[in-house]
Amino acid sequence: MDKNELYGKIADAVVEMEDEEVVELCQIAIDEGFDAAEVIKEALIKGMDKVSELYETGEYFLPEVLTASFALNEGVDLLKPHMKQETTSEKVKVVIGVVEGDTHDIGKNLVKIMCESAGFEVHDLGRDVPIDEFIRVAKEVDADFICMSTLMTTTMAGMKLLIEKLKEEGIRDKFMVMIGGGPISQKFCDEIGADAYTTDAAAAVRKMKELKGIA
Amino acid sequence: MPIIQDLTTGKKVECKTGELLLAVLQREKIYVNNACNGKGTCGKCKVTIVNGEASSMSEHEAGMLTTEEINSGVRLACMTEVTADITVKTQNDTTAMKVLSAGYIPEFDKDEGLTGYGIAIDIGTTTVALSLVRLSDGEIVGKAAGMNSQRAFGQDVLTRITYEMEAGEQGITDLQKAVVDSTNQAVRTMCAEAKVEISEIVAYSIAGNCTMTHMVLGVDARSIGVAPYKPAFLEAQTRKASEVGLVGAADATVYCLAQVSGYIGGDILAGAYVCDLKHQKKNCLFLDIGTNGEMVLAGNGRLVSCSCAAGPALEGMNITSGMPALPGAIESVEMKDEKVSFGCIGEEAPKGICGSGILEVVAELIRTGFVKPTGAFVKKKKLSEDDWRQQYLIEDENGSAFLLAPGVMVTQKDVRQVQLAKGAILSGFLSLLKQAQVTVEDLDEVIIAGQFGSHLSAQALAGTGIIPKEAEDKVRYVGNTSKTGAYMALLSHRVRKEMEQLAEDINYFELAESEGYEQLFMECMRF
Repeated sequence: MDKNELYGKIADAVVEMEDEEVVELCQIAIDEGFDAAEVIKEALIKGMDKVSELYETGEYFLPEVLTASFALNEGVDLLKPHMKQETTSEKVKVVIGVVEGDTHDIGKNLVKIMCESAGFEVHDLGRDVPIDEFIRVAKEVDADFICMSTLMTTTMAGMKLLIEKLKEEGIRDKFMVMIGGGPISQKFCDEIGADAYTTDAAAAVRKMKELKGIA
Repeated sequence: MPIIQDLTTGKKVECKTGELLLAVLQREKIYVNNACNGKGTCGKCKVTIVNGEASSMSEHEAGMLTTEEINSGVRLACMTEVTADITVKTQNDTTAMKVLSAGYIPEFDKDEGLTGYGIAIDIGTTTVALSLVRLSDGEIVGKAAGMNSQRAFGQDVLTRITYEMEAGEQGITDLQKAVVDSTNQAVRTMCAEAKVEISEIVAYSIAGNCTMTHMVLGVDARSIGVAPYKPAFLEAQTRKASEVGLVGAADATVYCLAQVSGYIGGDILAGAYVCDLKHQKKNCLFLDIGTNGEMVLAGNGRLVSCSCAAGPALEGMNITSGMPALPGAIESVEMKDEKVSFGCIGEEAPKGICGSGILEVVAELIRTGFVKPTGAFVKKKKLSEDDWRQQYLIEDENGSAFLLAPGVMVTQKDVRQVQLAKGAILSGFLSLLKQAQVTVEDLDEVIIAGQFGSHLSAQALAGTGIIPKEAEDKVRYVGNTSKTGAYMALLSHRVRKEMEQLAEDINYFELAESEGYEQLFMECMRF
């Protein structure tokens, strides 16, 4: 099988959420001596991109995205040990969490999965995250994005607070702030001066790539 | 100072140039659906500008309206500023809504020697139901029901708590006043009709969810809106009616049923008591379906409860053609012999779909194969050309949809909203069963309480998988047990004590934090 055909099959297997097939095909790629990082980028992640599209059109939903990402991760786990030692890769760094006062994290977890599937480096702070913690970790890892999520209207103010605190410290321009969640809207995003708002996890990853000028 | 002429109410009001239309309408008490309290997320505050111009429409606003609406002059009041004189058509008020009051009342020990009259109230987030009771013999001599005026500050508890956060003490006062004022109005009406003097009212008994109980008493509810969701109090509350602002005799008292947790309130406690979950021997799951699906399971000698963030999809919100249960709302749907038929409230031309209609249509869509178990619509090209379903299936740049009636659609997104609600409620259901170590087979009864639940057929509930299929034949409806519980507490101190004890006996657990919840939620989303 030639390389592109194999990569195509791997991508399809991710889309079909066939984790066993993904592992089998990735093993073939390893045996053929293909570059592990390339397999991840050109096969697995390409498959996840298609999953993203299907999610946005409504054909796929949360369970499918989760199952597909599971298949993808099985492939990544297999390939990781075969990756060449690289110099610091230009990975997009994301700090993500659910705003202080809220414990609903399924949506945030989905964004995290999509980000990781796209090859981003994700620092997940979990749920009920104090605003200061978002900032502390963002500084520590030199993040590109601070992503905040909430399901409740009662905790939205925390997002505004983060932006104000960044301004106070004179570091507003250091990070791009992205927000999302049930009660969030473009209107709210504009009001608080956040950089972006997206309606779902797939659009979030697309937006981040767009803002970073990546394909 | 621009002048707004409203054709619907006939009112003519003035405002400042640049004022937000929503704010003006609220101030002038002209009805407008304010479900999300001006956050720009619900799309329900539509007002038609018949004549004149207002501020320009943002992309966000345009994205929430159809082309047809935009061309007809429809605007969202929360995003429209009044810049000059305009003539508008506001929405019709929803006072035509049928409110459920009746319910079954079990035997109980009434206090001896009571005199005067009392009011039993179920304060729901959406509707308030009251009974005027002669205390000497427990006879209900008057009834009233209506919308909770707090809806001016938002449709759901979180939106109203957010209002408290934004408006502080004034917000707490506003919310208390709204519900107390509309309660007093109802009390006066009932008394006039029953020829009872206000001064004869000596007692109030109130069953409400935790937030509603806080708000009617003017107690800060903000802590309920943030993790760990701890209310200011859980115990039953007593006050003087004069303290609360409720009308009655000088020394009239108010008793509010106890709460189990921030999200399992006095209304659910009342239901659990009325159904005698504690003593009856069966494995029984009591369920109140709404924006928060609240449930209590009596199983294996244990009482466990949880609350699910089901979202407002089941009440018509976030649904493309969703609307409240009013004339014009499709409330039942049947697909038989390759034909689609539906029942509409008020026999009018269908305008939209209400909660029960959403469930029925989705159940039918799944049963007939329009929608696959994953929740995705089947593709037109996968069906044969002469398949009866072709004429109902739309595929365009917005995705797939089912055409139920002219102008009334069920889109792919709508199905996803139902899936989310279903995932939430079913995962709660299964989690409770697991907590009490009861299997679905061992479950004897599923008791459905409340206004909304009474309209949902067991078939639609099982058909959409909101309750497990095996539970379909175990469903029983009990009506407004919240008001019944309030009624019983009004007349019996023994009932009050038992309810207070029951509140302690019911264990609450936080669903979202339980182990493996995300996985369970995902599984439960599958039809």
